[in-house]
Amino acid sequence: MRSRVFPRPASRQGLQAQKAVHFIAAAKAPACGRKQKLAEIQQALFSDPVDIETLRRAATTNGGLLTDELRRKVWPKLLNINVYSLPRKPGQDVRENHKDYNQVVLDVRRCMKRFPKGMPASERAMLQERLIDIILEVLKRNPQLHYYQGYHDVAVSLLLVVGERMAIAMLDTLSIYHLRDFMDPTMDSTKHILNYLMPILGKADAELHEFMIRAEVGTIFALSWLITWYSHVLSDFKHTLRLYDFFLASHPLMPIYLAATIVLHREKEVKQTECDMAMVHHLLSRIPQDLPYELLIGRSQDLFNQCPPSLLAKQAALQSHKSLSISTFQAFQLSTLHQRPDSVLQRLSRAQGSTTSRQATRHPGPGAAAPDEDRLQLLANGNRLVKMAVWGLSATLGAAVFAVAQTAMEWGPEMLLQLF
Amino acid sequence: MEAIWLYQFRLIVIGDSTVGKSCLIRRFTEGRFAQVSDPTVGVDFFSRLVEIEPGKRIKLQIWDTAGQERFRSITRAYYRNSVGGLLLFDITNRRSFQNVHDWLEEARSHVQPHSIVFLLVGHKCDLEAQRQVSRQEAEKLAGAYGMRYVETSARDAINVEHAFTELTRDIFALVRSGDITIQEGWEGVKSGFVPNVVHSSEEVTKSDRRCLC
Repeated sequence: MRSRVFPRPASRQGLQAQKAVHFIAAAKAPACGRKQKLAEIQQALFSDPVDIETLRRAATTNGGLLTDELRRKVWPKLLNINVYSLPRKPGQDVRENHKDYNQVVLDVRRCMKRFPKGMPASERAMLQERLIDIILEVLKRNPQLHYYQGYHDVAVSLLLVVGERMAIAMLDTLSIYHLRDFMDPTMDSTKHILNYLMPILGKADAELHEFMIRAEVGTIFALSWLITWYSHVLSDFKHTLRLYDFFLASHPLMPIYLAATIVLHREKEVKQTECDMAMVHHLLSRIPQDLPYELLIGRSQDLFNQCPPSLLAKQAALQSHKSLSISTFQAFQLSTLHQRPDSVLQRLSRAQGSTTSRQATRHPGPGAAAPDEDRLQLLANGNRLVKMAVWGLSATLGAAVFAVAQTAMEWGPEMLLQLF
Repeated sequence: MEAIWLYQFRLIVIGDSTVGKSCLIRRFTEGRFAQVSDPTVGVDFFSRLVEIEPGKRIKLQIWDTAGQERFRSITRAYYRNSVGGLLLFDITNRRSFQNVHDWLEEARSHVQPHSIVFLLVGHKCDLEAQRQVSRQEAEKLAGAYGMRYVETSARDAINVEHAFTELTRDIFALVRSGDITIQEGWEGVKSGFVPNVVHSSEEVTKSDRRCLC
């Protein structure tokens, strides 16, 4: 099948040129770009309203959000989450009477490879129990959502970076938007999203597309990539984090564009394989651990721009089904445009006091104030003094120093309390 | 050069969540046991050669499936092109035994017009103290459905080779007797020769097979 959108010779050249640009960007950025990027991210975080476009761009361009400290700052912004009114830690009752309880417990307790190798067993066991609570809490808040094997992979990726309470807030938002289609009672919507893969391939490389069709390989090799945002298949956590930066800042269909990009990247291997469903599935489902992620991320974006979902949806196979993730994405993106910087949010949260700030959250938790909240309040008060001192410094030392100090002061204690 | 084989059989491994499907397959294909195994998300693929008689090798393609019920609409598509299957339950989990019937129904309703040679596997037989399903009871059920019954342990490597080899022998016998035939458009059994040529005991190199698709 010939591509009508971009005639073949032109598209080849176009893609090659883009490849070259991405390659150069990937090669030269680390040395000089990193400092500048750090400063840009900090500046975007302090803007009022938060400069969400810059944050999105930072998350998708070379290196992503660079450090876990920055991720803890930027990820919530990408999802329109107020870090000063996070959900409280779930109580024991979260485990009572939930239809998915057994499956969640079975999956999380045997989910080992996702935790850092050196982590003591007791610590891992503790985090696994938290993971069960996080998942069940989000499922309880949203009775329309259904647990799937692989959802725990997303949850653990968040927990390891942002801690329990923010993981709940992030997983909650992701489940309502980006992961929504995977959480229907059946997997029909998941299959629908997978159905975008072949048309994307068809537009980008008709010959490879034809090979895949002949092999009848289908798209199930990409299922775990899609529904776990690749975290189920990547052994190096830093790659998972890099992709999470990318996906958190992108359209919900972006994981499927990355899947297409990976298949395209492995074109030669695929074509050299026996044209047999099992062999091609086998080859593609084992994802190489040394993929050039920066390059592939750039290509996925190009592919997305060249054949956006709306264009693909005109194809017969994709017309009939309605995707909630796609249809709610625009409204979701708009909702992220008017966020206040953390310093303002903190002040507001303090001014409102713990009770009223609770009521202001999207999902007010029941029961009396948790000890957690007091602790956060203490931290917030402490931080005000620290921050005033840092403000003084920043005038003379510039934004970069401010950024580092701010990050360390605000997140160090909170993270320690949440994680350990 | 790839190893030579006489036939290729495609197998599917099904059963409730956490009965040990992936561990059993990994023990068989990789010879090792992971104390804990992450849940399978979707469908995984494995392969291995088995020698059923001296010099007669069969290539097994094995599909490992997610146990959670919602994945059945995905795994369903894999029944049709399978010639054999291992239906696992956990001998320490009575519920997984009670669901054997449902799994068989699920498979049978999606394999038409073909059929699958199933082996019933009582897994985790090293955990004798926690046994909730007796061997007699399992044998009786297997007999009622015309299946063999084997008890296995991936941890202690008990009967793992035996389970796969027996199933392979049974299928081989059916292929030899003509009860199972190689068919165009069906992937359950493939010949190591050029497709559609019946052969005796000779072996050929895999490179002789060309992709006709």
